[in-house]
Amino acid sequence: MLTIMSTLHTTAQTINAATTRTTFHRETTVSTVIKADEAIIWALLTNASDYPRWNSTITSIQGNIVLGEKIVLKSTLDAKRSFKLKVKEFEPAKKLVWGDGKGQRTYTLGKNGDGTVTFSMSERIGGLMFPMYAKYIPSFDDSFNAFATDLKKEAELIQSKAN
Amino acid sequence: MEPSLNSLTAEFERVKGSLKSYILRIMANKQDAEDIVQETWIRAHRSLANFKGDSSIKTWLFAIAQNIARDHLRSLKRWPENVGDIAKDAAMKDPDFFREAMTIHKTSPEAQFEIREHIALCFTCVSRSLPLEQQLALMLKEVYEFTAKEIAKIMETNEAMVKYYLHTGRSKMIDVFDKRCALINKEGACHQCTELNGIFNPKQNAQEEAVKIQMVRDAAKKDKEHLFDLRMMVMQEIDPFASPATELQLHHLEFDRKVMNEHTGQD
Repeated sequence: MLTIMSTLHTTAQTINAATTRTTFHRETTVSTVIKADEAIIWALLTNASDYPRWNSTITSIQGNIVLGEKIVLKSTLDAKRSFKLKVKEFEPAKKLVWGDGKGQRTYTLGKNGDGTVTFSMSERIGGLMFPMYAKYIPSFDDSFNAFATDLKKEAELIQSKAN
Repeated sequence: MEPSLNSLTAEFERVKGSLKSYILRIMANKQDAEDIVQETWIRAHRSLANFKGDSSIKTWLFAIAQNIARDHLRSLKRWPENVGDIAKDAAMKDPDFFREAMTIHKTSPEAQFEIREHIALCFTCVSRSLPLEQQLALMLKEVYEFTAKEIAKIMETNEAMVKYYLHTGRSKMIDVFDKRCALINKEGACHQCTELNGIFNPKQNAQEEAVKIQMVRDAAKKDKEHLFDLRMMVMQEIDPFASPATELQLHHLEFDRKVMNEHTGQD
């Protein structure tokens, strides 16, 4: 029991999304350390059709996640909506950015030199009209925690596979 | 250390069969398999001095073959998961398909219909719905029993990516067969192997034949990973160029490839 509580405590400490708000913007960030090769994490982040298999927050992504391409994303946050997004930055195994006119999602990977990788994800939404619709946008915190937890679990599972 | 020509020749003869079957299964083309294996021998012979001994000769030969096939493989369009349904519809509309198949079945000593042979053919076709790298890694690991390190060498990538390809490819294939294959799931949509058994072996009870296969006997346990491993054992046990069903299965594969070329708009 103590072990379970300790594990839960560690997980809660490691993966804990935070949101900051201003009048015209809102930004949610989460980060976690993953014990896996950055190539595996990058492959998971950039294989569009594979997302629903491992990621409990995304129901589908259509299109190819490569620079300049448009993708259509459906998420559990709002099952009825399809988000049409453009891949704006694509630095293999380092940084991925997609977004639309209202917001931008950024993923970064940083090697720690000890075989682990720090994964960070942030989403900044807003604009001049943001105060008008801000209250209709749900919190991203739980979804971000789930995303990071799923990614860590899947990447570490793949890394742990025998040769 | 450079191997002698004798040791290269002996090793090539030893692995030639599995190399040819691998190429057939990834390209779905008998002629390509024969041509690539021949070209592999020519290139290996020519570049024997370049062999550094940092892998086995078998791995080196597979890497040469993979290199020869690479561009062509990348130009091939992927097939849909329901390739069997599409090919079946095409066969039902094509009077020549069953006429040819029956002629082969009655006249060739290597044209028996066996359910396990069809299981292997089915996996060959359905695995082409995976992204290419996942299909190649899965075949090399699960059927031809290479290690991740050896596969990385053959595919010119790193072990981390091989692990990713293997994990995702395996997960997808387990899911596809769990949903589609009536041999392991009573709700499965595809009964093609038992239907064909009824056509080619009308006096045989398809269900009695099916339960001779361990994967079918173990289906009730619903252990998806185990069932996939048993499916891979069927693949390992069958040489598509040297089995009692070779000619019939190669005829089916050639038909499937032509149908898929039309379906995907492949030249």
